[in-house]
Amino acid sequence: MPTNYAEVEETLRRIQSQKGVQGIVIVNSEGIPIKTTLDNSSTVQYAGLIHQLVMKARSTVRDIDPQNDLTFLRIRSKKNEIMIAPDKDYFLIVIQNPSD
Amino acid sequence: MSTAIGKDDRKKKRTLVLRPSSRAVNISGSHGFNQSTKHTTSILGSSSRRSFSLGAGSKVLDKSTVQTPRQAVRVFDEEDNDVTPQPLYQADPGSVQAKASRFFLDEISGGSTSDQTITSASFSMPFSRSVLGSSRFSSQSTIESINEEMEDTFPKRDMPVNLPDVQGKRVAVKEQVTENMLNAVIDIYLSETDCISLLDIPSTSVSVEADNADTITERNKQYAEICKNMVGNEKYVDRSIQTLNDALKHKQVQSDSIVMVDAGTFVSTWEMYDTVSGPEPDESVSDSETKKADIPEAAVDSSRAAEKSVSMGSTTSTGSVTSSMKDVEAFGNSLNAEADLQLIMLSERFQQNLLATERSIVGNVFQPKLAAYRQLLVLDNPDRSLNSEAVEQKTEGSENSPALEYLWTFSCELSRGRSVSSMTWNKKNPDLLAVGYGDSESSDQKPGLVCCWSLKNPTWPERFFHCDSAVTTLDFSTNNPSHLAVGMHNGTIAIYNVQSQNNQTDVINSSECPNKHMDPVWQLKWTLEELSLTGEDKVESLYSVAADGRVSKWFVSDTGLDCTDVMKLKRIHDGKLKAAGNKTEKKTESVVSALTPGLCFDFHPTDSNIYLVGTWEGLIHKCSCSNSQQFMETYKKHFCPVSCIAWCPLSPSLFLSCSSDWTIQLWKQDQFAPVLGFTSTQKAVCDIKWSPKWATVFGVVNVGQLEIWDLKSSIMDPLIVESAVPPVNMKCLLFASHTDCLVVGDSVGQVTVYLLKNMRIGKGSQADVLEAVIQSATSRF
Repeated sequence: MPTNYAEVEETLRRIQSQKGVQGIVIVNSEGIPIKTTLDNSSTVQYAGLIHQLVMKARSTVRDIDPQNDLTFLRIRSKKNEIMIAPDKDYFLIVIQNPSD
Repeated sequence: MSTAIGKDDRKKKRTLVLRPSSRAVNISGSHGFNQSTKHTTSILGSSSRRSFSLGAGSKVLDKSTVQTPRQAVRVFDEEDNDVTPQPLYQADPGSVQAKASRFFLDEISGGSTSDQTITSASFSMPFSRSVLGSSRFSSQSTIESINEEMEDTFPKRDMPVNLPDVQGKRVAVKEQVTENMLNAVIDIYLSETDCISLLDIPSTSVSVEADNADTITERNKQYAEICKNMVGNEKYVDRSIQTLNDALKHKQVQSDSIVMVDAGTFVSTWEMYDTVSGPEPDESVSDSETKKADIPEAAVDSSRAAEKSVSMGSTTSTGSVTSSMKDVEAFGNSLNAEADLQLIMLSERFQQNLLATERSIVGNVFQPKLAAYRQLLVLDNPDRSLNSEAVEQKTEGSENSPALEYLWTFSCELSRGRSVSSMTWNKKNPDLLAVGYGDSESSDQKPGLVCCWSLKNPTWPERFFHCDSAVTTLDFSTNNPSHLAVGMHNGTIAIYNVQSQNNQTDVINSSECPNKHMDPVWQLKWTLEELSLTGEDKVESLYSVAADGRVSKWFVSDTGLDCTDVMKLKRIHDGKLKAAGNKTEKKTESVVSALTPGLCFDFHPTDSNIYLVGTWEGLIHKCSCSNSQQFMETYKKHFCPVSCIAWCPLSPSLFLSCSSDWTIQLWKQDQFAPVLGFTSTQKAVCDIKWSPKWATVFGVVNVGQLEIWDLKSSIMDPLIVESAVPPVNMKCLLFASHTDCLVVGDSVGQVTVYLLKNMRIGKGSQADVLEAVIQSATSRF
């Protein structure tokens, strides 16, 4: 059962206040960022690049087994970690630097 | 026309501005819209390569040129004859003026204006259509927009509007839509227009079944006959004839360009799978969205094509319409985005994703601690630069003495400030910890709180339930691992189902029960009882001990929870002591049967029929479920309330008890005096628990500190002492079953997790070790 809007906002706020979280971006299915805590240029950059990556990742997973689907994608890099929760209608992207 | 062209060439760069009052037109301007009904020249025809631009420079009007006086334009030839051409079209003064969208005015830039004259003209007067003649002329729209501009920028004048009947491309007018208008029922009448015949080429062949087929076949036969007879017949003479070819005339026709779009797609395995397995219900929505997206693209394309294909004979181009449509679409998109956000955020999948994301983030943050908890090797982050601090820590840790390592704290805004009263692990999922918050000692009773914490997220509980009264005890059920029984300060017992996401209320509670406890429930326990001897059916029952002196067994009845008393804790006075001092109290033994509050109890680990109860008086009674009248045994040693009793899980005949008299006693089941007693500080002992892994180790919480005792190493002093920072008191403790960790709750709502390190406990049967220790200890005396 979906909880109400305030609880979702509360969860987002908690995520934002976790240690090392640099930003949260929610992108809709057309690639337009609809909610973001980063500055505009970074948001647009993330939205565009990650869209392509997720498409590729999803295509990979499903090519191997069409009944499978991508649920979560984590990219660990030297400086930070990008966590992506893709869905049919949106992407949720969180960037964290856990060693802050 | 040539004159017009000549004039245009001469005065290419001239800006033409018209004012309503000036009826005299700058006729030499290349694009002139005569405002008067009498025209001098048709000027507009020459705009072959020029596109017509009416900017928002209709505002330019203000900086425009001189006001020419209002006069009619008349043309006279050499003999002063009035040869002013008559307008081809007479405006209908009563025609309704349609309000055109303002967008037009802004967008009527017809594309490439590189070498063209841009006429920023604001036309405040209507102009006749006669000049404009061409059917493709979209400045019909300009007329309307200009009219609107006119109205906005000038005081209203009584001006007839020349509106052609046939409108070119028009975009729907925007007007304010009110709520009423939306709700009003509008009748729409559809009717068929007259048939307009565009092309009619009668067929040259007739069906065999047609009515006049016979006559036609007849005639065909006759003709064939004639043709046959023609050859060599004198009646028919061959003659040549010449057709005159008319002079050729070029005629140009312009049509909308055919838009061609290349489309290609890459088909992958899963796309085929998706297609085969059927379209999803959301596909229709996405289709319509993509269609919407296509339309503005198509419109833009056609506008560009239109500009390119403007030919000599045509008038102006039509870029305006399409670009305005683009604007409308863009505006619509931004609205969609906000609605999208709402929808997305309320969807369940989004919340699940949020949960997963939060756990990943928290996992990143707490990774070394969680790894230590799980007794995995803690790896240093290779990318993090090693600073001196880290090096120092390493050297410290090389000591091998037993120590408590602080791992993390479960705490959040909800729990801050509340005192932790009890904790319990889930029986099925040992990573789930239920913590009850409630301050039983303070006079003002705040409502209690139960939080279920998961190891995966130490910053926010997975579930929390608000209770009516301070929570004093908790226990998870074994048969139904999602049932959590909560005992409260007001005597209510409630059972919550922690599995459901939203259910903030308990599944069942005992507030309706007539036998319910009136006093704080100090301890609850679910126990499995063996019904049959084979031990197959294990029924689970909930037992509680409360301050009203009863030990009750609860079961679910029609009206909720109901209980039966398993034991009443009668107050026992030591008759001998009293009688010696006071004669009148000889009879008190039998009379005084008030109940004494029971503070704690514990069931035997193997025989679930037997349990121990600790009372306010300091007595410990061993009771049996089958006998509800008498105690089996009584153990007397403490003279203050017994706060906790614990059977040793590894050695079933031993148990520990602690009380507010600062002491901890180790008892053997069949001995009435404690085997060993421990004291370390002069503070009341709140809680005591055996370690599930090592038989000789137990943990003690008294008011100011946490102590870990290891009987093997010392029976006089605790092995490890961890003090609490003064304003904070530690309240309760719990060992974790699968790891070497323990959790401690304190009075400000924090639950701290510690790791027991370097506990060098030898191998061998734990119970034996304990026995040996006890033997050696007792043999000293």
